[in-house]
Amino acid sequence: MVGLAGRSGASLRLAAIAIALSLIAWPAAGADIKTVLVLYSSTRLLPAAIEADRGLRENLASSVDQPVELYAEFLDLPRFDSPDFIQTFARYLHEKYAERPPDVIVTAGSDALVLLVRNRTELFPDVPVVYIATTKALLAPIEPLPPDVIGVPVVYDSAGTVALALRWHPDANRLVVVAGGSPQDREVVDRLHGELAPFADRVQIEYFPALGMPELEKRLAALGPGDVVFATSFFMDGDGRAWIGKEAAAKIAAASPAPVYAPFNTYIGTGVVGGRMPSFAGMGKQGAELVNQLLAGATPQSLAASLPERAPTHVEVDWRQARRFGIRESDVPADAVIQFKEPTFWEEYRGVAIGGIAVMAVQAVLIGALLVERRQRQRTAAALDESERRMGMAARAAALSTWSWEPARPASGARLHPADRAEVEKATRRALESGEDVSLEYRVIRPDGEVRWLAAYGRREAAGGARLLGVSRDVTERKQAELAAEQDRAALRHMTRVSTLGQLSASIAHQLNQPLAAILSNAEAARQLLGREPLDLAELREICDDIVRSDSRAVDVIRRLTALFRRGEVPREPVDVNELLLETLELTRTELAMRHVALLTHLAPDLPRVDAERVQLQQVFLNLVMNAADAMEDTKETERELTVRSEANGGDVRISVSDTGSGISARNVESVFDPFWTTKAGGMGMGLAICRSIVQSHHGTLMAANNPDRGATFCVALPAPAP
Amino acid sequence: MSDGDQTIAVVDDDPDVRKALTRLLRGDGYGVEAFDSAEAFLAQADAPPPACLILDVNLPDLDGLGLQRRLAETGRTSPIVFLTGYGDIPKSVQAIKAGATDFLTKPVKAAVLLPAVRAAIAQGAGEAQLRERAAALSEREREVLEGIAQGKLNKQVAADLGIVEQTVKFHRARIMKHFEANSAAELMLIAAKLGLGRKPLD
Repeated sequence: MVGLAGRSGASLRLAAIAIALSLIAWPAAGADIKTVLVLYSSTRLLPAAIEADRGLRENLASSVDQPVELYAEFLDLPRFDSPDFIQTFARYLHEKYAERPPDVIVTAGSDALVLLVRNRTELFPDVPVVYIATTKALLAPIEPLPPDVIGVPVVYDSAGTVALALRWHPDANRLVVVAGGSPQDREVVDRLHGELAPFADRVQIEYFPALGMPELEKRLAALGPGDVVFATSFFMDGDGRAWIGKEAAAKIAAASPAPVYAPFNTYIGTGVVGGRMPSFAGMGKQGAELVNQLLAGATPQSLAASLPERAPTHVEVDWRQARRFGIRESDVPADAVIQFKEPTFWEEYRGVAIGGIAVMAVQAVLIGALLVERRQRQRTAAALDESERRMGMAARAAALSTWSWEPARPASGARLHPADRAEVEKATRRALESGEDVSLEYRVIRPDGEVRWLAAYGRREAAGGARLLGVSRDVTERKQAELAAEQDRAALRHMTRVSTLGQLSASIAHQLNQPLAAILSNAEAARQLLGREPLDLAELREICDDIVRSDSRAVDVIRRLTALFRRGEVPREPVDVNELLLETLELTRTELAMRHVALLTHLAPDLPRVDAERVQLQQVFLNLVMNAADAMEDTKETERELTVRSEANGGDVRISVSDTGSGISARNVESVFDPFWTTKAGGMGMGLAICRSIVQSHHGTLMAANNPDRGATFCVALPAPAP
Repeated sequence: MSDGDQTIAVVDDDPDVRKALTRLLRGDGYGVEAFDSAEAFLAQADAPPPACLILDVNLPDLDGLGLQRRLAETGRTSPIVFLTGYGDIPKSVQAIKAGATDFLTKPVKAAVLLPAVRAAIAQGAGEAQLRERAAALSEREREVLEGIAQGKLNKQVAADLGIVEQTVKFHRARIMKHFEANSAAELMLIAAKLGLGRKPLD
């Protein structure tokens, strides 16, 4: 039974593998998410890897419609390169990505490319590969590459490095080229003759090729100011001794009093100032662009045809050397990589640290991640704390207080003024329901009985929330000032109104005396009748009726006048504009007649009523009519015409008063509305300013314009509420 | 109290006032014709001039003073009593100078209005009588009266007219008798009422 069970377990496992393999062989058709696997030769922490990763991620065309997922594996091959490890790693990749096979593989660094190409049969044989950060020289062992492996090789930029050196040393007059004597070295030097030819105009170029190291050191030591050294390939010296480029560079830099430049990243740190070298971020970007095209359906073969010859480069510099040779930071390009700006622990204790770091690498990553997270949290907390502190300070500085309000919970402390309660509750309820901001002014009664004005601004805490949050501010002083100003304005309105009425005293007397005259004469006629026999009762009754009618006329006149003379405001009400105009014209009729002004009225019937303070509106009409009459003082008597019109215009009721006077002489007709603008000897110049403020307080407009022929027209437009 | 044939015209644009005045004057025995404007009154040009015209100063279009002027121009002379809704001194002076009999302020009491009307009618009648008598003077008597009205001495009048002084004295005595004037001053007043003596003879 046991054996059977073991066998059946094994067959199950086989089936699982078969399914897994089938999944690898036929990548999920129609899967929306594209997958890119990046294999880095190095560890995650290598600056070059981080740069390349940034270049890749920033340029991958991932979108909502076509999401691209990026998976990264860090092989750390230069340090862990045993064949067993590589085999294990290849298997690990195979299993890890079995269910989500990549659509494109990117290799960063030559070691990863070598690993992949050598294990292609096991590792994603049909998936196209884009290589980045791989030098041409290191490609040689695996060439020719399969046709679906494409990329732009890294080539060392000698001309760019020399150009940089000459820019940083503008006084240089000699360029010394140092290279080894191996066949590869000679090949490099042969190419250099062509590459450096453009600089021959600028400096003298001298080659120190294939010298023995002691001889080379001696000649380098003799260099002086005006010399710049360019060090390149150095595999073997003229004495036949083999060198590692980096070690040779250290010797060369130590021997030379002149600055040494080189196009190799590896030479940085040996005493070389710097050079122009491949940019890892740029290579990442270039890789991403190839990946994008492959994902979009291009074949690797079609892309291979149009690839550039070399990877993009950037400036890299050893800051200690740069300082030694007096290179200013402002001369360093913005995208340059600056090394050794401060000596690092790594540099000083390299030998001791290297073993420990290898062991601690995993831990470090973990701790780093935790630290980053903790720091972020601390930063967030600190930012929140600071924001709250600032908010508190701002609130104190602005004399603001913060509040929250819940309809369910009654507010404590100061009591809402009963007169404002309904409005406050309505507005806050609306804000809670709609989520709109609420802005209010209301009164509260303090426990000691003092009434204060508050201005509050609030917002619902969250959608559907039952709480309003906001700030409020004590605006009692402003409110009192406003009330005082409004009282002043009302007093001024009253004063100008009374002064206008003063001009109309003759007219007013006439209006009152007419009914009084009728009453008196009727009464006396009745007395005459009473002395006769027989009594004419029908006539007497008619006389009594007439007296009553005249009396109510007189009462009407007095009532209207009292309203105009009264101080203080009355509530707004729907006003029939035509009726008010006729009443105003009745008041001025005698005055106009005395001034020989002919009155024409065109009042549109059925005008909508406007919401207005009757007396204030009448003051406006009175003022406009009297101004029009004044404006015609110099007009010939027979030509003095005052036209009053009313009409409905859109949602507005328009009232215009035109005269045939001399028109408005001011350069800007608007200036007639300025306070103290007057053409009258005894005028205060407040009339029109007040008229405009009255009309504006009714949400209307008051405009003035000269007529095309003669005189001026003043037009009041008042909004009429929708019927 | 008064002669029922005498017709008074009331011109006032206020219907209530017009009606009340009409009622009061009718009650006092006058015939009354009421008009609501100066133009309406002028339209009745063919009718005999009223014994008295009660005229509101503030009429629309042609006002009271304008109507007075127009009537003077056309020679329709009725004595005028002005009414006004308010005491306008410049206008009242202007009206009286132009020959108005009275200038009253509304509301006006019957005790003021009715005597004013009576006085106006009487004055109107007197002036009419004077005009009739003046029309009866001979050409030479009129010339002599004009000279006297201008304040000239008999001697000067005689020289102007190319007659002897004695003849002037003779005409003067006749004229005084004709107008029932008892003194030289009274005669001067009559001449003034007739509108004489305002311009020198050519």
